[in-house]
Amino acid sequence: MELTTRQFSQNTLIMLLVIGTITLIGNWVGYGISPVEAAPGMALIVVIGVVSLLLGRFVPLELPSFAYAMVIAFLLSLPYSPVQATILSLTEPVNFLATTTPILAYAGLSVGSQVTQMRKVSWKLVVVAVFVFFGTFFGSALVAQAVMSIQGSL
Amino acid sequence: MSEGESTDRWEPIRIVGRWTVHARTHLTVLIIVIVAESIGTIEFPIGPGTVVLLPLLFAVVIGIAISYSVLGTYIEPLRRVVSKDVSVLSSPLLVIALMPLGVKYGTQVGPSFERLIESGGAFVLQELGNLGTIFLALPLALFLGLKREAIGSAVSIAREPTLGVITDKYGIESPEGRGVLGTYLTGTVLGTIFFGLLGGFATATGLDPRALAMACGMGSASMMTACAASLSTAVESIPRDQILSFAATSNLLTGITGLYIVLFVGLPLINYLYRVLAPRIQGSGSEADLAEGGDE
Repeated sequence: MELTTRQFSQNTLIMLLVIGTITLIGNWVGYGISPVEAAPGMALIVVIGVVSLLLGRFVPLELPSFAYAMVIAFLLSLPYSPVQATILSLTEPVNFLATTTPILAYAGLSVGSQVTQMRKVSWKLVVVAVFVFFGTFFGSALVAQAVMSIQGSL
Repeated sequence: MSEGESTDRWEPIRIVGRWTVHARTHLTVLIIVIVAESIGTIEFPIGPGTVVLLPLLFAVVIGIAISYSVLGTYIEPLRRVVSKDVSVLSSPLLVIALMPLGVKYGTQVGPSFERLIESGGAFVLQELGNLGTIFLALPLALFLGLKREAIGSAVSIAREPTLGVITDKYGIESPEGRGVLGTYLTGTVLGTIFFGLLGGFATATGLDPRALAMACGMGSASMMTACAASLSTAVESIPRDQILSFAATSNLLTGITGLYIVLFVGLPLINYLYRVLAPRIQGSGSEADLAEGGDE
């Protein structure tokens, strides 16, 4: 059953508030930042989050909502932006690492069904995948290093 | 993979009538977060590199471990709390949970925008570096005796766009499809753990941290984050914000260009190399398989 736009906005807003609260608790436990201090920044994040999720769902560009959230925050915090100082001081108390922990907790839980499928993958493909990881990573790193040293920006 | 299905992938987040699943899911995540953040960051040198264990790494490991298909298989009460429904609901929630991180990345990229422009050439060209996987993983796949599975498994790190391209071109039931699914699943299950460890240890190579940061961006927000967060913790010479903004920008670029690089460069290149290398590594027995590759 397809969610209507209204249901989608309401449900994602509530989910963002729940995730925001979990993040504020993690921000407090792990980095000692009081939830009261970080709450205004989280409220801003929730607003940008709802907008980004709606853009991700309705703009036919095949871009993930994550990209919209990043681009909106990027534009607001450019040196040319009149609200740069406000945006940066609001989001500053929300620790970067604190936002990553809930994501990976949900990711770990959601992997459940894939673990079952993964058992059927031959060990050879798993070994190849590990080499794919190394190849992608060091391929990019070597090209980036080479280009930057040619440009003299190292 | 859910994009291709007719049902709404957001359907599980519906709250009405689903209170208990929601409560179990979010409380489980809250407990995982509190445990992971209480452990905190553990950092220790091994040989020339640094191993960085961040709370996010503990979170993903605990999450996988307590899911219904791992420890839940053996522990009945656990399976009733952290049920299959919890795993299903966590999948769209992961997308929502990325919003705070996306905003944090944006606020790190914005102020350092001019510095990023200076490295513009490196950003664009290192996208082609992702093809490095073909040169490293294809010969290995052939040595292991894989046939056309090698194409799907070694062409790229196989996040959703690659999965889509291969499925579209060869079908998910084809050998190429089996190959791409193998890399995709391995990435989904082990990717963040792998890159979380590699990010810290890669400093041992002596490569510039900014080059390593760009390398962290390979099309998956969670892998990039695990990689860049560990890297920025291990590196002291360059501020954390700068490392994270380099990684996030590279990841965004991969998100935009990745599909086209796989389609127009990666696939033709790996098919060509397959034709050249397969007979040399596997002998003439592989000729029958070559015919299948003739359509590209």
